[in-house]
This record gives sequence, structure tokens and C-alpha cells, in this order.
Amino acid sequence: MQTLGTRNAPEMAPATATKLAGEAQQQRPAPDRPSVATRVARGMAFDKIGAIYVWALIALVFAIWVPDRFPQYATVKQVLNANAMTALAALSITIPLTTRTFDLSFAFTMTMAGVTTAHFVAVGSPLAIAIGAGIVVALLIGLVNATVVVVMKIDSFIATLATGSLIQALITMATGDTPIQSLRLAGPFSKIGQTELFGITLPVYYALVVALGIWYLLEHTATGRRLYATGFNPDAARLAGVSVDRLRFMSLVVSGVLAGVAGIVLASTLQSGSPTAGDPYLLPAFAAAFLGATQLKHGRFNAWGTIIAVLLLGTGTTGLALANAPQWAANMFVGVVLIASLAVTGIQRRQTTGRGRFSLARLRRASA
Amino acid sequence: MAPQTASTLEPPPGTIGEPALRIIGLSKTFPGTRALIDASLDIAPGEVHALVGQNGSGKSTLIKTLAGYHHADPGAHAELGGESFSIGHDVPRTLRFVHQDLGLVHELNAMDNLALRGGFIRGAAGRVRWRRQEAETHRLLDRFGVELDIHRPLAQATPVQRTIVAIVGALQGWDGGEGVLVLDEPTALLPHEEVERLFDLVREVRRAGTSVLYVSHRLGELFEIADRVTVLRAGRVVTTKSIQQVDGRTLASLMVGEDVDPDYRAPSAARSDAPVVLQLRDVQGHRLRGVDLDVHKGEILGIAGLAGTGMNELPYVIAGCAPYPVGGRLRMPQRADAWLDVADSARLDIPIVPADRAREGIVAEFAVRENLTLSILGRLGRRGRLGLREEQAVAERWAERLGVVSAGPDALISTLSGGNQQKIVVARCLAREPDMLVLAEPTAGVDIGTRVAIYDLVAGLARNGLTVVVSSTDLGDLLAMCTRVVVLRDGRVRAEFGADGLTEHALVRAMEGEDDADPGHEKRS
Repeated sequence: MQTLGTRNAPEMAPATATKLAGEAQQQRPAPDRPSVATRVARGMAFDKIGAIYVWALIALVFAIWVPDRFPQYATVKQVLNANAMTALAALSITIPLTTRTFDLSFAFTMTMAGVTTAHFVAVGSPLAIAIGAGIVVALLIGLVNATVVVVMKIDSFIATLATGSLIQALITMATGDTPIQSLRLAGPFSKIGQTELFGITLPVYYALVVALGIWYLLEHTATGRRLYATGFNPDAARLAGVSVDRLRFMSLVVSGVLAGVAGIVLASTLQSGSPTAGDPYLLPAFAAAFLGATQLKHGRFNAWGTIIAVLLLGTGTTGLALANAPQWAANMFVGVVLIASLAVTGIQRRQTTGRGRFSLARLRRASA
Repeated sequence: MAPQTASTLEPPPGTIGEPALRIIGLSKTFPGTRALIDASLDIAPGEVHALVGQNGSGKSTLIKTLAGYHHADPGAHAELGGESFSIGHDVPRTLRFVHQDLGLVHELNAMDNLALRGGFIRGAAGRVRWRRQEAETHRLLDRFGVELDIHRPLAQATPVQRTIVAIVGALQGWDGGEGVLVLDEPTALLPHEEVERLFDLVREVRRAGTSVLYVSHRLGELFEIADRVTVLRAGRVVTTKSIQQVDGRTLASLMVGEDVDPDYRAPSAARSDAPVVLQLRDVQGHRLRGVDLDVHKGEILGIAGLAGTGMNELPYVIAGCAPYPVGGRLRMPQRADAWLDVADSARLDIPIVPADRAREGIVAEFAVRENLTLSILGRLGRRGRLGLREEQAVAERWAERLGVVSAGPDALISTLSGGNQQKIVVARCLAREPDMLVLAEPTAGVDIGTRVAIYDLVAGLARNGLTVVVSSTDLGDLLAMCTRVVVLRDGRVRAEFGADGLTEHALVRAMEGEDDADPGHEKRS
């Protein structure tokens, strides 16, 4: 558990994987392994990656609808750059969600960290100190959330709603509800979010790195497996020796820090410390995380599913903007896609596994 | 069980006349398996008809098809009270079900639960007329002589009270007479002494002329409550017999398909001179009122007792996961001389097979492999990276060792039968390579074949030095496995039996406190 943060070392993943794979292949030829073709076919099944097909369909529709502006490299860049923040936000809540813990306060944590860092930059502190202050504030919020939810045993949904409200109060108190503006914010600080590499802004790379880290944690570490067990059946996990409370505590702390990082990047992109900067990310992040859970891993919150969901929703809204669709179209698109994709995945799963019918017990467990 | 009730049974109704429920040629095919093959069944009016079979024999499929959850394969014929209905599509009004999980909302009280099924009595503007609702609830419950505070959430009721509320709920809007009530494992989670209350209710239902289709794994019960019994094996109806024509042994053999002894006793060799490996002193808890216990190496110590004696609490206390605050001391003298506070017993790292498999045992969304390795994840792989191939190998090895029947380690655990799920939970504990194991209700909802396999496994492990503590409301478990049994009453150890004096009769007497079996222990006031 104490290595929860340091285990996010994606660069060692590929090397170890090939080595292990080679060894095991020599020891055990494993005759009953499905062929590559079967595995690819299984991996491509609609119920696993339905969102990718929908995504392709959306891209196709817009390519036909706005042929002059949509099928351009510029559109790809725009989708990536415009949605990196949503991806960071959605990834920050993915870990607590694996334990069925909600962190509704993350958007306010983003704002708080952004405002804090912007304040220190604006008064002329060194960049490292400003960023450090933002992250420390986010860490403190994470600790408060974890204490309220895990130690005081208050339902996470309502508890983080409450802490979110408290954070917003603090933000308004500190800023007087006016954005922190300063020429210094347009200095080196703005490089964090605005530097481009191959035409793509840095936040896209940050999101990629965070996604890699979360993927590795959830898929390739014991901690990841324990997080899922905690989410699915905390009683069974506890009796099997999993430190359920510690995992939920840590997941909220990590979520706070990740939201803080996202908030600082956002402040850099905006070149200001806005007291409402994080608000627009609250719903899209949860939408992406829940849609992402239906992808790839059959009901488990996971990093790449979240990324796919962000891209799917982002492509649609970008396309609508390029097509000069009316303003309400984007929101309507998100709502329709969410309901449709969750419904389709649900039907698919019921047909393939017959589950979901006798789900009374699971419902009861989830609400307990 | 109490033998005197056999004489109070009314003579079993014959099969003369029109059956209450008749099923002919019922088959059900799932992708890959045929769960039911040409099953036929007649239930006479006013009889209690038992349906038995191992896990996976097609019992649940038959009941779920009757209840309309599954569509039957074409070609089946069914009639209720002489009127045919489309089985698997229609559910006639006088065919009622109580499923194993009871389908109650524990947060709500009995009145709300009954009204959720039967409908609320409403006045103008949809207002619920609570006073009349209350009177109606009392009327329903009084018919069966149930005493229950209808304003308290069912979570605070006893298991048998909940079962009775579920049955009363299922019978609502129908004042007896011809029809069939299906009870799916109503006693699976009931403590020994409460089963009798349920039987009273079943007899009451039968007296009103209603037939009961009674599904149970506890064969002993059938001789007390059932008139006839139908045995299912591998999706086929093996036979239907009058209960007088069979005994436990033939019934078990019919279910398994080979000769099986329900009074099986696992061979074990307990040595009383073996060193003491676990000591409890003055252990207190929700129900426990000062338990002292010495457990010897390699013994299988049974814990018996009625509900409310702390019998189902003690295993959790030993494993360090008690749901209530606990007090007292314990130690494992071979590991350390110092006494531990019982509240810290989790440090001893003793694995537990929990009592309620669905709620506390398995992670339903996980594959077999993931369930099996949940407790040993730290050991798999290197430098924090989980070795997925190593995990696969471990899962395959354990599944083979325990004879788990599944579609492979990557199959979802919820696709396995109850018995095989239980084997996975046991394997999860054993994979930790413990020197001590705690089992709570190890065979709840487990068929007789798997039951014997579990007895054998535990006995074999004990011969190799594993120390086992097992609590069970099913005395058969204790009789089959244990080298010593202690009986709890009022939260204290009140009697103790070595393997010699261990009989069901003696255990029941000690549990109910008619007299103290062991004069060495203090008398109840």
C-alpha cells in the first residue's frame, strides 16, 4: 500500500512483460491457450469495446457531414488538446471508483489547487514552491475526504458532496470570487499547460502518463486486484485478508492529489486562478469514468476505457462545433450517447452471461 | 431432529385423482448444456413434495422455469389443478414461490415488505391508509400464529421470522385451497431449533389444502416434513418415491448415482497428547460471555450451539474479523508466549471460510482465478508486479487438487455451482499455507457429494498437522469431521465431547441444555 504511488512506473512494464512471457512459454507450452485469432476476435467483441465502434461511426458521420473541416489532422489535434483536461479529471476519480467510492469533491479540489498555485505564482514565489503548495493543498483535501469517508464511515457520495461544498466556501473566501490575474501567470507557469510537442499540448501527454500508471496499478499489481475486490464485495475482501479500509483511504488521497495536479495544469492553461475553473469537469468526468467502465473490462473501472470514453464524447462535441450545430446539441449528444451505450452494453451482457437478471443481491450490496 | 413429530403427520395423500401440479417432458437447454432433460413430475393435492438433487442436478432450473425466469424448451406440458398452462411463460395465480434469498428488503419492516408484494391499501389521492394496512398485516401474520413486531426493520428479525414473512408474503391474496407453494431451500440459513417453527408453518399451509414443493439439501428434514420425494440427477428425474420407502442412505445414493453414506465420518487421527496451538481465555463478544478454549495441533474442533449462543460469532473472533467489539486474551503458544488482546487476533493471520458464501465468501464479479488468489496476491510475482502466469498456474493447481468443476480459471465464479464455489473459498484459505484454519458453516447449500469431498479434504489436512476449528448449525458436519466438539450455551462452553461420546442425540441434548452432558462443567442456574 505504501508503494501505491511508486508502483506507477510504466517504463518497466514492457521489458518485464516480454521476459516473463518468454520464460513461461519455455516452461509450459500451455496447449489449451486460445489461438491469437480467437483472442483478437474476443478482444474486438462489441460488448467489450462497443464504444470504439460507436466512436468510428461518429467520426464517419462527421466526415460525411462536414467533409471540408472534420477529416483533418487539425481536428485530431483539437479533439486531443481540448479533452486532455477532461481525461485527467476522469482518471483522477477512476481509482476511488474501483472501490465503489465516489469523490464528488474532485472538481473543487482542482479549483482549489489551481487557485493556490496561481496565487503563489502571482505573488512571485518560485514555480516549484507554487506547484508544491497546490499539491499539498490537494493532498490535505484528499486526507480530509479519506478521514470523513473511511474513518467517520460516512457514505462517500454525500461526504464528498459536503467536503466539496466546504472547499468551494474556502475558495470563495480566499479569492473574493474574482479570478487571480497576473502577468506572471503568463510567464513560465503557462508553459506547463501550453507547450506543444508535435503539435499536441503537454496535458495530452500528462493524461497518457497518468493512464499508463493507473492501467499498470489496476492490471498488474496486487493492489489493483485488491481495489477491485474491495469495490465488488468489501465483506468478502475483508475476510480474505484485504485491508479494505486502508485501500479506500489511500484511493481518496491519491484521487485528491491527481485532481490537484489536474487543477494546476488547468490553471496554467487558463493563465489565471479562476474560482470556478474545475466546475465544468464534474459531470463529464463521471460520465467518462462510468462509460469507460463498460469498455474492455466488463464493468470494472479502468484507465483505457475511461480514455476511450473521453475521446468518444470529445470527438462528438468537436464535430458538432465544426458543423456549426446549435449550442444545445453538445449536451444532448453526451446524454444520448451515455444512455444508449450503457443500455446496449447492459443488454449485451445479459445475453452473453445471463447476469443482471437476478441482481437483487448485488443491488442490495451496492447500496449497503 | 425431534422424532415425536413423525407420529403427528397426517397420512400422506395418495396420488389418486387429479394432481395439483403436473409437469410432463420438461427440458431446458442452455448454450452448451442441457440443464433439464425430459423431466416429469406430479404433485398431489395437499402433499409436501420434496425435490432433491446435487448442485447442478437441475433443481434450480426446474424452479426458475416454473417461476417463468427461464423459457422451457418447446414440447413441455404442464397443468395446475387440471388446467394446462404454458410453463416458462405463464405463472398461474395459485403457483407461488419463496426463493432462497427470500426477496425481502431488510431495511423495511414486515408490513412494508408484505405490502410491497400484495399492494398498499390506498385512500383518496393515493394516500396509504396505514391503520388498515396494519390491520391487514396482522391478519396475514395471525393466520400462521406469527409473533413479530411489524414496525421493526426485518434486519432486526431472526432468520426464521424473515423466512416466515417471505412465505406469508408469497401466499398473499389467496386464502388456501388448491395450488402449489414452492419453497427453495427455506432452511439453508436457519439454525437448528428454528427449523421446527418453519415446519409448523408448512404443515399449516398443507392443512389449508395447498401442496408444497420443498427443495432442500438437508436430507434429514425431509423425513420429518415431506410425503413424497423426487430425486433429480444430471438434469433427469431419477425417481419419485414415498418418503417411507427410502432412508437417508438410499436417497443420497440416488442423488449421487453411486453408493454414498450420509452418516459418513471422515477418518481422522487425533492425539490428545498433541501440543496446544491456540488458547482462548475469557473471550467476550456480542454473545460470547467468557469462552476458554485450548485447541491441540492436528485436531478438528467443532463448535456447536443454538443461535444466539455465540456459536457463529466465535470463528470470526478467532480469525480476527469479528463484527462487534470483543474482549479477552488469546495466544498461539508455539509462535509466541505473550498473550494477545482478542481484538488484535487478526495479527495471527488465521484464514476463515465464512458462513455466508454469497455475501462474505466470493466476489461474484471475479473469475475463479481471481477469487482463488485474493489472499495470496502479495506472493505472486516480483517487485510489485503481479505474475499473471504464476497466478494462472496456482489457480489451476488448486482447482485440480480440490476437484473443482468449472469452465476453467477464467470462468466467472458465479457460473459455478454452490459446492464448487465453496471449494474455491476453501482453496483461497489453504493457498495461504496456514497452520490453522477456521470454518463457519462449511457445507451450507453444498450438495452431499461435495460435502463428503470437503470432509475428506479437511480430515486429510488435519492428519498432516493442520489445526481446524469448525462451527456449524448442521450437526452432520460436526459428526462427520470433528475429533472433539464443544457446545456453547449462553456464550460459554457448557459441554464437551470427544470422538467417542459424539452422537447427534447427545449433542442436541447438550445444546438445548436439558442436562449437562459433561458433569465437569458448571450447571446452568
